[in-house]
Amino acid sequence: MRDAKTLRVLDTGLRRAAENMALNRALLESHQAGTSPHTLRFLRFTPSALLGFHQDVEQELRTDYCAEHGIDIQRRITGGGAIYFDETQIGWELYLDKAFLGTADMGAIARKICEAAAEGISALGVDARYRPRNDIEVDGRKISGTGGAFDGDSIMYQGTLLIDFDVERMLRVLRIPAEKLSDKAIESARDRVANLKDLLGGNMPSFDEVQKRLAESFARAFDVKLEWADAMNAAEEGAFQEALAEIDTPEWIYQHNRPATDATMREAITRSQGGTMRVGVAVDPARNQLKQLWITGDFFVKPQRLVVDLEGALRNTPIEALEANVKAFFEAHPAEMLMLTPEDFVTAIRAALDAEEARA
Amino acid sequence: MGAVRGCNIPEDLMYSIDNNVWVRKESDGTATVGLTSYAGSLAGQIVSYTPKKVGKEVKKDKSCATVESGKWVGPAKTPVTGEIVAINDAVAAKPGLINEDPYGEGWLVKIKPTDWDGESGDLKTGADALAAFEAKMDADGFGGC
Repeated sequence: MRDAKTLRVLDTGLRRAAENMALNRALLESHQAGTSPHTLRFLRFTPSALLGFHQDVEQELRTDYCAEHGIDIQRRITGGGAIYFDETQIGWELYLDKAFLGTADMGAIARKICEAAAEGISALGVDARYRPRNDIEVDGRKISGTGGAFDGDSIMYQGTLLIDFDVERMLRVLRIPAEKLSDKAIESARDRVANLKDLLGGNMPSFDEVQKRLAESFARAFDVKLEWADAMNAAEEGAFQEALAEIDTPEWIYQHNRPATDATMREAITRSQGGTMRVGVAVDPARNQLKQLWITGDFFVKPQRLVVDLEGALRNTPIEALEANVKAFFEAHPAEMLMLTPEDFVTAIRAALDAEEARA
Repeated sequence: MGAVRGCNIPEDLMYSIDNNVWVRKESDGTATVGLTSYAGSLAGQIVSYTPKKVGKEVKKDKSCATVESGKWVGPAKTPVTGEIVAINDAVAAKPGLINEDPYGEGWLVKIKPTDWDGESGDLKTGADALAAFEAKMDADGFGGC
């Protein structure tokens, strides 16, 4: 069922983020299980804010803005940062394995795929090039960002292609400081991305044309023939429904994964009447700022999301303002707590800040 | 210490070659699991680590932790079935330890195995492991650590 020299091409059309993420999981698992051929998929999104696998919703996104504007929030199975995806972009992704690619080196695989994608984009009439490690650019402006996931010998590698992207909307979706939303800052962010429509003006190709060029370029780069398909096979459909049941849920979207950061990490466990609290903090020593923190433990608070809200509210807090910010937070967010006070949170965070730096 | 193409492969550990992980039975009956130096080299600098939760049962050849490097995300698959009894806080704080010290500070999870005697027979150790990794590196087109 899988031919080493054939690349199936699937266009799954305009879909919700949950469906697209579930298709990622389903097609990668099916490829690993041997029930899926080597595949190039084209995908489009209704308005969506997409987190990297290891990110936290509250730390990365303006959830109120997303709710107001009907923007779905979802978690990718790939790495990297949060992005905004809507009808003004096309997604492309490949499901292959290490034998097909001739290497198991993740960096080399990313390069190989991005170089082929850059050639396909260039065939539309622009000068697109791979920019290590994960971007494709035109004259120094990003036109495609990429990322991947693997499972055993199978890999899924995906990228965006900006057609007529609204940079300002992206900035409003992402949780970034207000000063980055000034007209000047938005203009400068716009200068760093390239839209196919701006580059090509009146010669804008159709979606079909974009897909054709990219597909041909991948076929050339991997020396395979293309097979355009109009539907998934039965095994993939089953895997899709199963993945959707897991991914189209708050449990998947709001799962709490620890952040990666270059900052100094410290951690402490404290006990109070209300229970045990474990706090990890990332500190920016140069600015004497609490960059981010995470709080876990066996204490009781209601609503449950209060803890992530507190973590979000305390992001980039100057250390001397900690007490005041925690106090202000609890004044603004009525909470039901069992034998627990706002002071217990302050004590626990202080203990983490005062702890020895995690082993370097 | 054993080595294959410049990658350290300690001969006293047991390996699942397919999963590219090592496991060591400890004196308290638990089993420590980690990525090999070869897996770390293929992945590049690891920047995030999310283990399954303590108390969770993980099945042989299924994910016991998720790691991220250079925007790649993937599972580390346990070589034996069992309950997760410990995760590595030092690695959570500094995931690069998985690359720097894969057989020491950079371990991924500790598991209480449910059928160590039955499942560990499939694993490789010593010279057998070195030969199997040599063959895997050949198949992977790998130059060296």
